[in-house]
Amino acid sequence: MAHAAETSAAVRGSAQLKSTGRKEPRVGFEGWMMAPGLLLLAALSIVPFIALIAMSFSRVRLLGGVKLDLVGLGNWARFFTDADMWLSWLRTIIFFVLTVGLEMVLGIGIALCLFRVLRGRNILLGLLLLPMFAAPSIVGLLGRYLTDSTFGLYAWVLRGLGYSGDILGAPVSAFAAVVLMDVWEWTPLIALITLAGLSSVPQSVREAAAVDGARGWMTLRYILFPAISNVLLVALLIRSMDAIRYFDIIWVTTNGGPADATKIVPVRLYETAFRFFDLGYAAAIGLAMLAFSIFIARTFVRLLDVRGLTR
Amino acid sequence: MAAGAAVTLGGGLSACGSRGDVARAGTTDQWRQFQGATLNFISENTAPTAAIAANTKPFTDLTGINVNIVTLELTALVQRVALDLASGRAQYQVIYADPYQVLAPYQRGLVDLRTLEADPNLPRLPGGIGDFIPVQMDAAGRFVDPAAYYALPYDAPTMIWQYRQDLFAKYHDRMAHDLGFDPTPGGERTWEEYFRIAQWFNKNATSDVKYGTGHQARQHDSLMNDFSNVLWSYGGAYFDHGKEVGRLGARDPGPCRLDSEAAIAGAEFYNRLLSIADPASKTWDWDGVGAAFRAGRLAMCPNWHEFAASNEQVLPGKVGYAVLPKGPVATANMYGGTGVGISANTMPNERGAAWLFLVWATSPETQLANLKSKAGGGTPTRTSVYELPEVRAAEKRPSSMPNMLTAAAVRQAWTPERIGLRPKIPMWNECNTAIFTQLSTMLSGAETPANAMRSIKSRVDRIVARGWVA
Repeated sequence: MAHAAETSAAVRGSAQLKSTGRKEPRVGFEGWMMAPGLLLLAALSIVPFIALIAMSFSRVRLLGGVKLDLVGLGNWARFFTDADMWLSWLRTIIFFVLTVGLEMVLGIGIALCLFRVLRGRNILLGLLLLPMFAAPSIVGLLGRYLTDSTFGLYAWVLRGLGYSGDILGAPVSAFAAVVLMDVWEWTPLIALITLAGLSSVPQSVREAAAVDGARGWMTLRYILFPAISNVLLVALLIRSMDAIRYFDIIWVTTNGGPADATKIVPVRLYETAFRFFDLGYAAAIGLAMLAFSIFIARTFVRLLDVRGLTR
Repeated sequence: MAAGAAVTLGGGLSACGSRGDVARAGTTDQWRQFQGATLNFISENTAPTAAIAANTKPFTDLTGINVNIVTLELTALVQRVALDLASGRAQYQVIYADPYQVLAPYQRGLVDLRTLEADPNLPRLPGGIGDFIPVQMDAAGRFVDPAAYYALPYDAPTMIWQYRQDLFAKYHDRMAHDLGFDPTPGGERTWEEYFRIAQWFNKNATSDVKYGTGHQARQHDSLMNDFSNVLWSYGGAYFDHGKEVGRLGARDPGPCRLDSEAAIAGAEFYNRLLSIADPASKTWDWDGVGAAFRAGRLAMCPNWHEFAASNEQVLPGKVGYAVLPKGPVATANMYGGTGVGISANTMPNERGAAWLFLVWATSPETQLANLKSKAGGGTPTRTSVYELPEVRAAEKRPSSMPNMLTAAAVRQAWTPERIGLRPKIPMWNECNTAIFTQLSTMLSGAETPANAMRSIKSRVDRIVARGWVA
């Protein structure tokens, strides 16, 4: 009702303006105030975005200044028929599901454990969060040294357990290793967000549930999870966006190998753009990645929207 | 979006206003005519550049020119150079021109150095270009045109056989008895014998080393290098006229020939060799295998000769060097040398100043100083330096220039019949990636050697057919 009243007031106001003959300025005060920000935004993202679209229909020459030779749909046709590219997409999706899935499960588990700890929680939390503060490339280097078969600690431990192969030398173990490195770094973020959500559940609700006879699993299933599900959705959205553009750790540890086992789309995009300088094709890959990211983001935002959390 | 931003930025920079050239002083001293200028030299983080960076004072004293040196990992260097050439300006006047990743794809962005060598106002190269080792001059300095040269040979890493001399001495008689041939490393050994020696170490010398051999077989440029030595020895080639495509280069090399029987035989042997090598080989590039060798894990490995200096630090007197074994058809030692060139975006006086730096940096005196440098130092690219008495003396232990311990091996390796030159084509970077990726697939067991070679051929043919646009 209030909304309807506001609308009718606005219509009346507009009618009055028309009747007095005053013209509304094309760019209002707010527009002028926003102009510097919009111009900066245009310079930083819209112009490169348009350049990217133009590049995806061109071959890009570099020497003597950048020039675009139009090739029509050539780059896009190549994108859709490139078998190696589709394999990279498949790997990206597997990687995405594994990292985000493991991080969510472990992060929630760790948060629930921490939630029960009363003494020393802050110290534990501080230790838990440490991996998150390392740059991903440092995590990659650390992972590489720890799995190195000459002097790596993990390699030594695994040898003691009877594993004779080389962790980063075989496709399956290398893929598992880069997944676990990402999980090691980012599970604490999920734990932190979940812990914040758990702390916001009123104690009175938990006590009421306990008085009603709800035990561990039932409290979790019917009280805690519904209360923190929105927070978890936000955590999922943040990690998903990161997982799609995962690059650093793979580049440092495996370079996409062995046998392309860890060559996910961002690695292929980097190679195409900055090693082969095939910027037209790289633009097509980049736009496809952008579309995929938007799709994932929109899916989660829609879920939040259904719950009324975006308003 | 980053690519879009990079290109937008590149295009934007090229549209920026004009810039001034450096001043030319009115002096008769050719070396001081550009005093006050500042040069930027972009280089891979290699041993010779480390030595030069530690000692640019003699150049500044001689010319009055300041030099800023930016050292980067090779991939990052290629990106910077490409974007700098695209900008139309020469932020980096002197460029470390890797023959395969910079010279071949961006030859038009480099100055033909003949114009500067012929300029009467500029100093000539001491000894002329004839003093550079001929095969290196062609491989690192020229592209397609046999007369023009765009870079001067600056470093010369070459793959040779590095082995634990102490262990070969200790087990020589037993090995010779068990294997039925003299196992002493050298050019007369075959790859098949190398395999058997490695296998012998695996079985009989585990108290000294864990594995007989190790390789740089990570999915990386290093894998292509390591494999190519075997490929060529078995008579395989990447393209028809492989030697010419390697030495002078080609814009269109024609169809890939990796599906030949000889190439497949080479791949089969390489696959077999890696099956008995240290399993960690599949995670090592040249640094990895070098570190493992120095850690005492391996009895031998093929690696770049410039690792000799670090070998001597860790295993003094224990490492020997020889040319790589021969195969059924030929023998090859992969060359990985690079030249230094000048950006074609430079202005005339700036170009002259850059030429002074090139002449100085590749002069016999500087190459000798690099050899002695505590900060690094590769090996000389000039014949005259190898003939100096103090350099000759350093070829034997105790040596104050440990890289020279490899001199006898690399001198043989640099002969035209032994040097291994990968194809110098503009689209090599992408072809190389296809090659080492499929090789990695072969080593993982997902492909047979024959299928891996055919798969490389089809990929390389597609890449070459697309052509190169710079």
